Amino acid sequence: MIDDPFPTRSAGRKRGGGRKARRGRTAVRAARLRGSVDEYAAWIERRIPCFEVLDAEALELIEHNADTVLEEIGIEFREFPRALRLFRDAGADVDGERVRIPRGMCRSIVQATAPREFTQHARNPKRTTIIGGDRTVLVPAYGPPFVHDLDRGRRYATIEDFRNFIKLTYMSSGLHHSGGTVCEPVDVPVNKRHFDMVYSHIKYTDKPFMGSVTHPERAADTVAMAMLLFGEDFVPRKTVLTSLINVNSPLTFDATMLGAATVYAENNQATIISPFLLAGAMSPVTVAGTLTQILAEALAGMAYIQLVRPGAPVVFGSFSAAVSMQSGAPTFGTPEPSQVLFGVGQLARRLGVPFRSGGGLCAAKIPDAQAAYEAANTLQTAALAGVNFMLHTAGWLEGGLSMGYEKFILDADQANMIAVLLQGIDLSENGQALDALREVGPGSHFLGCAHTRENFETAFYRSTVADNNSFEQWQQDGSLDAARRANGIWKQMLRDYEPPPLDPAIDESLVEFIDRRKSEFEDRDY
Amino acid sequence: MATEPLMLDEDEIVLSELADDELVEQMHEDLYDGLKEEIVEGTSILLGRDWSAEKVLNEALVEGMRIVGIDFRDGILFVPEVLLAANAMKGGMEILRPLLSETGVKPIGKMVIGTVKGDIHDIGKNLVAMMLEGAGFEVFDIGINNSVEDYFEALEKHQPDILGMSALLTTTMPYMKVVIDEMVSQGIRDDYIVMVGGAPLNEEFGRAVGADAYCRDAAQAADTAPRLVRVHRAGGTVGA
Ligand code: B1M
Repeated sequence: MIDDPFPTRSAGRKRGGGRKARRGRTAVRAARLRGSVDEYAAWIERRIPCFEVLDAEALELIEHNADTVLEEIGIEFREFPRALRLFRDAGADVDGERVRIPRGMCRSIVQATAPREFTQHARNPKRTTIIGGDRTVLVPAYGPPFVHDLDRGRRYATIEDFRNFIKLTYMSSGLHHSGGTVCEPVDVPVNKRHFDMVYSHIKYTDKPFMGSVTHPERAADTVAMAMLLFGEDFVPRKTVLTSLINVNSPLTFDATMLGAATVYAENNQATIISPFLLAGAMSPVTVAGTLTQILAEALAGMAYIQLVRPGAPVVFGSFSAAVSMQSGAPTFGTPEPSQVLFGVGQLARRLGVPFRSGGGLCAAKIPDAQAAYEAANTLQTAALAGVNFMLHTAGWLEGGLSMGYEKFILDADQANMIAVLLQGIDLSENGQALDALREVGPGSHFLGCAHTRENFETAFYRSTVADNNSFEQWQQDGSLDAARRANGIWKQMLRDYEPPPLDPAIDESLVEFIDRRKSEFEDRDY
Repeated sequence: MATEPLMLDEDEIVLSELADDELVEQMHEDLYDGLKEEIVEGTSILLGRDWSAEKVLNEALVEGMRIVGIDFRDGILFVPEVLLAANAMKGGMEILRPLLSETGVKPIGKMVIGTVKGDIHDIGKNLVAMMLEGAGFEVFDIGINNSVEDYFEALEKHQPDILGMSALLTTTMPYMKVVIDEMVSQGIRDDYIVMVGGAPLNEEFGRAVGADAYCRDAAQAADTAPRLVRVHRAGGTVGA
């Protein structure tokens, strides 16, 4: 009693599209092996509502409290007289390095000139992205001094690892942005590292990228290199860099970050002002208290940027985790920071600026079950919270201390799923599938009906890593767990990598610039 | 049931009425609970009963904090509780310190600690300072973003046993070597124990910059520091 796999009932039915076109093995293999998401998607267009946890009254309360913090306690701008001057001129009360800002002032400064969304140009126009609105841009992890893979374990990152992660990101269609410090290349002298890092983002990928922030001069070098790439008159008019400025919470900005932020703002380049909070240590232990602090800090930072250059793109950043009250160690993927994330998304939208948060965060040391579930928690939360710029989407291990090769592959797979999830539900005629229901009717099955034949390739997300086979086949394939399978994938990707072409004249000018700048001062390791 | 106040007869305890061994026991409990006033009182009572400062220090305070340390390590006590305990310990130490130096007893140890230049991460450093205070150390925390000059000034001023440096950035941790090299060239390296820590460091890095010890966390720092001080005072080399 074997069912006919392709019921002939439908064979004679007329459908739009007519006969199936010839493709042949080569074409099918090439298309199928590429992955399930359009290679050139420069962002995800969200078509589902954001998940919201606070009602209007609650939001007003948080906003009121944030203003109370700004007005009564104030924000410290350390060793950076320019910020003090600008705020004083704008009407704030400046006492030493403490800036107390009248109720509502930051909000009106930000709302007056900060763009609701902005375009970040990539050297390949097809990858030029828009940050803000209903879009989500996925970006690899940032900052880890170590890398981890199954073969070599955990070790300090090198410039080769740095290039590898740029290449892997380039080849991951679900990641729209090349990121910044995808790992920290400790084999290059500290004061010259940024040249090699920025150059790698230009050379090995054509996706948009982030600039150096560890010193104002390094930010200036980044801008100079961007000018060589995009043209000297293009850059001050257009945004080609989005860089990460962390607040030294609680309620403090330091000179390093302010210095770098100022350089970028002056050149009309985007900055992400990020209260990076480990609740319990850097902010109150409660969600509402943390939300208040995040809003106050982000408002002050974004207002500063607008005072430096009205209209310079700013992103409301938020990185929220908690510390273990038993050891002080950062924790990830737990429910309270998710609540914070949902709330900040709402606050950012009310303010009317793009919002950065999220990622595949975890405290796990290796790509194990903890890594997977913590990362899945934070990725889904960020996706549902309406994050526009999702830093740390792929690779993050160990609270950001380590960039994992296998973890990267697992996260990139999740990133692709997010794209599908956010697309929402297709309610077109094809989406409604009444044809299919009519055709198949009671009993039988849908595997071979016309509608399925038309849609099967893109109907369901196909994971690049998950194994859905029978136990026996899995065993035959070597009984590999997810991390082991990911291990094979990143190696294959690096073997297959081909660099996007870069104009040799531009390349030469960049190399020349780097050589000249590097020869201007001694190597220094701090 | 939950409405019943937890403390009933504890409130009735009058420290001065306890026998020595009971009092010491009670001080262990009070340290555990982070009760500074009670620790100060208990310390004074024992001194009034002709206990030597050293005996009070070791039997009442250090032993009490040893227990706190164990329960912190085992995840029973939380950071804010240990902070309170360390603060209570500090209260007792303030009374004992002048007496100890009068009688020529060396203090458990002194430490200058700070985050290196260019680096503003300090949560871990603060925890280390807290744990060392809990272990009876006198800790001079010179904050964040410290240059060679800042460290040297603090060494000069406080004459500690240990110089502690913390760094969380790979771009700032090499600065530890700059400080240590300068200590060597000024001929003062061996006068101090140098301890380093911070998440991106490891044992090997600690050795490479010429530190005496790398500690992976605050509990290990509190374990290592007194040991190194003892060895150093006995004239031994403390390096790994
Ligand atoms: C003397 O003897 C000793 C002995 C033991 C010692 C010791 C000394 N010191 C520490 N220990 C040891 O004992 C402690 C207690 O058990 C432990 O201390 P820890 O400090 O390790 O542990 C603490 C209890 C909890 N841990 C922490 O507090 C650090 C957590 C992470 C997430 C972190 C935080 C919180 C912050 N950050 Co920063 N931050 C990260 C960190 C990633 C991580 N997982 O470590 C790291 C270190 N940060 C990084 C970066 C990039 C940055 N951060 C920056 C800023 C900040 C905040 C201000 C937001 C905040 C610090 C707030 C503060 N007051 O300290 C920026 C730099 C600012 C600056 N000038 O320094 C900025 C550059 C980001 C930016 N673009 O703005 C990355 C390092 C990059 C690198 N290449 O090295 C990073 C790994 C995260 C990441 N992936 O981006 C042990 O290490």
